[in-house]
Amino acid sequence: MSEWGTYTLSDLVMFSPRVYFRLVERYNQQFWPLQLVWIAGAILILAPAATGVPRARVAAFPLLAAAWLFCAWQFFWERYTAIHWGMSYAAGAFLLQAGLLALSPAPARQTDGPASRLRHRGGICLMLFGLLAYPCLAWPAGRSLASAEIFAMMPDPTATTTLGTVLAVAASGKRGWVLLPIPLLWCAFSGLTLLALEDPGAWASLAVIVATFVLLLADRR
Amino acid sequence: MAITRRTAVQGLGIGALLPLAPRLALGQPAGILTRPIPASGELLPVIGLGTWITFNVGDDPVLMDECAAVIAAFFDGGGRMIDSSPMYSSSQPTIGYGLRKLGHPKRLFSAEKVWISHPEQGGAQIEASRGYWGVDKFDLVQVHNLVSWEKHLPALIEMKAAGRLRYVGITTSEGRRHREIESIMASQPIDFVQLTYNILDREPEQRILPLAREKGIAVIVNRPFRQGDLVRQFEDGPLPDWRAETGARNWAQFLLKFIISHPAVTCAIPATTRVDHVRENLEAASGTLPDEKMRRRMIDYVEAL
Repeated sequence: MSEWGTYTLSDLVMFSPRVYFRLVERYNQQFWPLQLVWIAGAILILAPAATGVPRARVAAFPLLAAAWLFCAWQFFWERYTAIHWGMSYAAGAFLLQAGLLALSPAPARQTDGPASRLRHRGGICLMLFGLLAYPCLAWPAGRSLASAEIFAMMPDPTATTTLGTVLAVAASGKRGWVLLPIPLLWCAFSGLTLLALEDPGAWASLAVIVATFVLLLADRR
Repeated sequence: MAITRRTAVQGLGIGALLPLAPRLALGQPAGILTRPIPASGELLPVIGLGTWITFNVGDDPVLMDECAAVIAAFFDGGGRMIDSSPMYSSSQPTIGYGLRKLGHPKRLFSAEKVWISHPEQGGAQIEASRGYWGVDKFDLVQVHNLVSWEKHLPALIEMKAAGRLRYVGITTSEGRRHREIESIMASQPIDFVQLTYNILDREPEQRILPLAREKGIAVIVNRPFRQGDLVRQFEDGPLPDWRAETGARNWAQFLLKFIISHPAVTCAIPATTRVDHVRENLEAASGTLPDEKMRRRMIDYVEAL
């Protein structure tokens, strides 16, 4: 323990911001315009799912599973592991989350009681933040929009959108709890990594964690 | 330990100094100060090239070419030792790329590490590293951060005896596990020790550096700028009026001169992504080095900033 105590956040980051965001830029370029397909598809399915449309509710978690699978394969396994050997474990965690989402489909109708209004609306806000605001964060962070982080392509907006959808769709029952730890842990890891890289995007990841816990606690009252 | 200008210059490869002045005038250092590896007498330039973070660029072709240019400038400036580790992710393939572009310079002194908690997999890891570099064998393999050193070190010593590597070493950084480092230095037949030492992190002066001299162990200094923090910390402040007496043109050279002027230090390994910086670093390994009185003055100056 004493030796671990001598490490700082920056000791655990083994690449420079320039290398990381160039990796994201090249990744985005290689798949353009798939990003638009992911965002449009997610809005078409997740928004009605959150408002209770039965078919959309059934399709929501499989869509999220596909997003986590794509992120695990294309971002973590094919790219991020090249500059961070530890990301092979993250790829495994993302695969596990894809499996959990695939095996935990939301029922066509609400069966476990309604979510509180605050949690439901807050979940929708988080979901929209992940889908629409996250790609724009590159701009206030002083980065090129080519390094925009987009749902299903990149882990942070994928985790954020998933947390929002689970909060809005899985309502107040225990069904959704199993789907929360991995996205929350990822947001914590990512926030700390971006802090070490001195990227303002760190605060978005950390704010998502706070928002999720606020909505969960509000629902328990 | 008394360090005078004379003792600071002793042990350096003075022959390299002779053609230095005219080449320095052109900004192309042809000569570079060297120190002998105590175990063999082989001369090593006192400035090497680290690769932590800087060479971890994945498969980005632009950044790989930038690193290859740094390696080219390093050899062009008289450098020899490049240091890496399996822990540094893509740094090893990046080195291999740069070396291939240069046709594998004969001057290379390859310093690698074994870093795996399962000792039985150490040999395979070293072999994988060798493949990335594209070298027949490593000059030096070190046990990284003392991970499973009790098993790795005998294996490395055996490899050395079999002619599969030339030197054996251990590493640490940022002052960690110095007691254990001392114990290994005192009891094991190692050729190199690598640790952090700079103008603010001077604890190794108390025991480890004197022990290295006593036991005839070469010393590699990592994090000479605390990952760039020292240069960033000081660069807004003025260099002292008497900087010419240290032989330094800028803060990076000032900091490097301090390190390599310690007689126990064999080589410092600053890391960089920039060709101009690698040239500046190598330039610090030329001309005069501070003596003990000047080193004290340098410490007092930076501590007052």
